[in-house]
Amino acid sequence: MDVPNVDSRKPGLPVPRILVIEDDPDTAEEITACLTASGFEALKAFDGPSGFEAATTERFDAITLDRMLPGLDGLALIKALRDAGSDAPVLMVSALSDVDDRVDGLRAGGDDYLIKPFSPKELVARLEVLLRRNRTSGAEVRLRIADLELDLVKHEAIRAGRRIELLPMEFQLLEFMMRNAGQLLTRRMIFEKVWEYYFDPGTNLINVHVGKLRRKIDGPGLLPLIRTERGQGYMLYAP
Amino acid sequence: MRLSEVWRTTTFRLSLLYGLLFAIGTVALLALVYARTAVYLTQRVDRILAAEASAEMTLPPSALRQTIDDALIVNGRASVFALFAADGARVTGNLPSLPPDLQPGGRPVEFPATADFPASARLLARRLPSGDILVVGRDINQLREIRRIIASALIWSGVFIMVAGLACGVALSVGPLRRLRQLQEASHDIAAGDLKRRMPSSGHGDELDMFADTVNYMLGEVERLMAEVKTSTDTIAHDLRTPLTRARAQLHRLEQSASADAADIARVTAELDEVLERFIAILRLSELETRARSAGFVVTDLGKILDQAGELYQPLAEEAGVQLAVSAAAGVTIEADPKLLFEAVSNLVDNAIKFTGEGGRVRLELDIGGERPRIIVQDNGPGVPAGERTAVLQRFYRSERDRLTPGSGLGLSIVAAIVRQHRFRLELQDSEPGLRAIIECRNTT
Repeated sequence: MDVPNVDSRKPGLPVPRILVIEDDPDTAEEITACLTASGFEALKAFDGPSGFEAATTERFDAITLDRMLPGLDGLALIKALRDAGSDAPVLMVSALSDVDDRVDGLRAGGDDYLIKPFSPKELVARLEVLLRRNRTSGAEVRLRIADLELDLVKHEAIRAGRRIELLPMEFQLLEFMMRNAGQLLTRRMIFEKVWEYYFDPGTNLINVHVGKLRRKIDGPGLLPLIRTERGQGYMLYAP
Repeated sequence: MRLSEVWRTTTFRLSLLYGLLFAIGTVALLALVYARTAVYLTQRVDRILAAEASAEMTLPPSALRQTIDDALIVNGRASVFALFAADGARVTGNLPSLPPDLQPGGRPVEFPATADFPASARLLARRLPSGDILVVGRDINQLREIRRIIASALIWSGVFIMVAGLACGVALSVGPLRRLRQLQEASHDIAAGDLKRRMPSSGHGDELDMFADTVNYMLGEVERLMAEVKTSTDTIAHDLRTPLTRARAQLHRLEQSASADAADIARVTAELDEVLERFIAILRLSELETRARSAGFVVTDLGKILDQAGELYQPLAEEAGVQLAVSAAAGVTIEADPKLLFEAVSNLVDNAIKFTGEGGRVRLELDIGGERPRIIVQDNGPGVPAGERTAVLQRFYRSERDRLTPGSGLGLSIVAAIVRQHRFRLELQDSEPGLRAIIECRNTT
């Protein structure tokens, strides 16, 4: 089982508890194993009603939810959860990749949408982003990682005191990576969150965009901040 | 062929219905002819009677009797002449007694045959100045004859029409029924799996032929789809087998070796990722094809889409050493799903960059010169051979060049599916050298 190379959570924080609602026992087992290996505490529920019961009686930091469930389907479950006052971020897992299905899922109250078949690492990466989003306010005007600073009001990036010229998309990409510093960000996640397109952009496309940004950020003689996680994605990381 | 089948055919029933309508028409026509003839003849007889009566009334009473007797000799078999005294006693003539309802001075009345005058007749009575009553009349058997002729004509023509109608119905139904049988046989064969079989056509271009042509067109589509499904299954199996076999071999090797190297595991993972990527593309394609049409259609700015696609692919083009130029006028809008259209354009640009390679040029252009706006992606790469240009648009078709290039290889199929969903038109042309892919949009807003 793959394990993300870096555990980004600060020591001292409680171990996040994740509820995995998934009717296929093998997939559920695979997900929980991967989550446990990544330092999460994972609990399984195999159908809608028991998932609902678990989610409303215990506290969870996040929920992964299969869209097609026996008993109570994913969309109905998520609505019921939101109605019951649960605000735990929900990662929907579905074989339906269409934009409309995604919109349905997100509209019902899902926070992110992952398409089957997926790699467990992608699932963990997305969960990490969801958990982090829940911890930060999102109202910052300035982001800072090491000597890299991003002014969200003036739309300025400064590395080691020097202003860096960025194209609008490059700025957004950098903002996304800085907001999720220390997280593994897969290419697909980057494409979805920054460009807001949901098709498969191919491996190379995101690579060249990140590569271009990296050349601007990580100038010669500077500490490299953008790291490539081989075969998985990228991480902006202050050593 | 059973008679009950014939009876149920539309042709037969129609023939019968037409026969009935024709019979009714004939009856009506003959009835009209009879009525008009009868009225005409009656009026004519009445006029003659009036004239005769008037002429005879001008004669003096002594001459009148003589005239009547003379007339009886000459014309006694076809005409009635009679003179009655005021009290009703017969003076002379070929009418035995004065019929009670024959009013002197009234309108002519019809009377049946009597012993003295062996035919039915119309009679007219006039009172003479002397008080005597003069009766003149004429044989009207002519009218009855005509009535009889017409009645028999009616009966015989009716019988003929019904018999002929039945015969026609049977005759006309037998042909189509036979052809229906052939169509049935053909469809049974097709249902049994013979997809090469086609509905027989008589070549007359009648409605059964039209139907057969429609079914044949449908069969062509079904056959094509079946072939595509087969090809795609084969292609998927073939494409997945290669990375899966490699992954398996590598896993086997890892199992044999004492230490598992992280790089080896990464290689296996990469192989499996490729399989996953292809699966995702296959799912995407099937989703696109089953998606409801015009689901997310909004007013879409084509220029914006092209600019964004250009922006997205510029770095990729730079890295590949390809010069990517975008020229798109702003403000051209159409009804479309912008995300899907962007995906289509992206795939075309991606393909163009991928296949053109170092030193190549790719042009992304919005052509608004024609009636409909056209998105043109043009490269100066190797292009697609003419023979393959329609095939590459088909679902799951992979040309040889695809196999050597990374990616799912389903890009063009996805473009074609998106274009089909928009009811746009996708065309691949030779741009000498290179490929020119054109998406012709419609319904400019």
